[in-house]
Amino acid sequence: MAEELQKDPLSRGQFLWMGALGTFIGAVLTIPPAIYFLDPSIKSVIQGRSDVPEEWKELGSVFDIPTDRVMVQLVEFTQRQTYDSGQPGSREGSITNAVLVSWKDGKLPSLLENTDEVPLSRTESEELSGKLNVMSNACAHMGCPVRWSGEEKEILCPCHGGMYDINGELMGGPPPHGLWRYAFRIREDGSIFVKHEFADGKPYVV
Amino acid sequence: MIARIKAGALEKGRSLLDWMEERTGVVSLTEKLLYEPTPRRGRWLYTLGSATLFLITLQFLTGILLLFYYVPTTNDAWDSIYYIMNSVYFGQLIRGIHFWSANALILVIGLHMVRTFLSGSYKAPREMNWVVGVFLILIVTILAFSGYALRWDQEGFWAWEVGVKIASYTPLVGGWAVTSLLGGDTIGPATLSRVFAIHVWLLPAALAPLIGVHLYLLRKHGEFGAPFEYSERLTALRDRQQMEEYSRLEEEDESS
Repeated sequence: MAEELQKDPLSRGQFLWMGALGTFIGAVLTIPPAIYFLDPSIKSVIQGRSDVPEEWKELGSVFDIPTDRVMVQLVEFTQRQTYDSGQPGSREGSITNAVLVSWKDGKLPSLLENTDEVPLSRTESEELSGKLNVMSNACAHMGCPVRWSGEEKEILCPCHGGMYDINGELMGGPPPHGLWRYAFRIREDGSIFVKHEFADGKPYVV
Repeated sequence: MIARIKAGALEKGRSLLDWMEERTGVVSLTEKLLYEPTPRRGRWLYTLGSATLFLITLQFLTGILLLFYYVPTTNDAWDSIYYIMNSVYFGQLIRGIHFWSANALILVIGLHMVRTFLSGSYKAPREMNWVVGVFLILIVTILAFSGYALRWDQEGFWAWEVGVKIASYTPLVGGWAVTSLLGGDTIGPATLSRVFAIHVWLLPAALAPLIGVHLYLLRKHGEFGAPFEYSERLTALRDRQQMEEYSRLEEEDESS
């Protein structure tokens, strides 16, 4: 049937040339729109660019963190997306993340029990850093916002029932691991600063 | 008097139709498009496809109307919908139809698919129509999901976030899927622009020609289980049995 349809006999060389020409024209027609569509992916995945510039944002003070529960702090990061050309004066947006903060196991570190003296020494802030949980409120499973339940003493996800303890460690449900943790540092005056970056890898959506 | 006017109008109408038919073939085309035999058994179940087409047409029409007021920016999207719902005459009606017919669409497509499956309409030579249908339901699902995000309220926002997170589990290209769905590595203005482009142009543009293919294939093969199909198949079966019988008898003659 195919032979009957082919009216003009085609030599092997002609066929190959036609294939090459077809591939070239096809590439010219499809590659530019594909790259146009994938622009943000190329910039993010290959070039490693983020919408959020590297900057430290203040989260609060270590002296304000309560014991036996998780505190929610809102942090507004600068967000550069479509309308930002990088030129001064171009439009800049922001993205607000809810950050969960708690002491390890909900206990006040012994260092802070007797004193609220500042400035903190380097070793003191390192000791406090080891006892502080600074977690993303995006569930490690599907990114739904989680919340602290005071009654059950657990961090719960409303979507599929993910459960975490006060340290953000996984207790049950579908998430593959505990909550994502922000990169943070404690300064001399006891203030906590966070970066839009995660200490243990990067979730895709934040 | 009235009878004469009626007769005159009828004649004029007929000559107009004749004129159109001669130049465009519209009358014979309409006849060809309208009449399709369906099986006696099942009857109304065979209208589910038409119901789907009707709802999709409603989506296109009300969607076009919503575009007159909707603004796809993070600052204004929610407010523009609030405006449609509270200040525009019949805004609630138009958006309500778009919303509820979208919900009904998913349901009716499901029923249509069940009917196709239970009546065996996916069997040869209609397999490709099932395949096209699967692509259609996929497109409609993504349309429904992206429409949800366009509201840019808490529900739509988090639903999109969760949807993107689901895409992030794609092997090898998870990061590419996420960043191309978000328009960056965070959810923001670029995300809404993308969802808008996908919902309003990309997917409807893909949907329309596929519906054409779906209908063409339906018309090419007809509804499965129609009486004529049974009779044709039965005739073919009887003919074959008869031929086999003849050849068997011939073989017997030869051997004896």
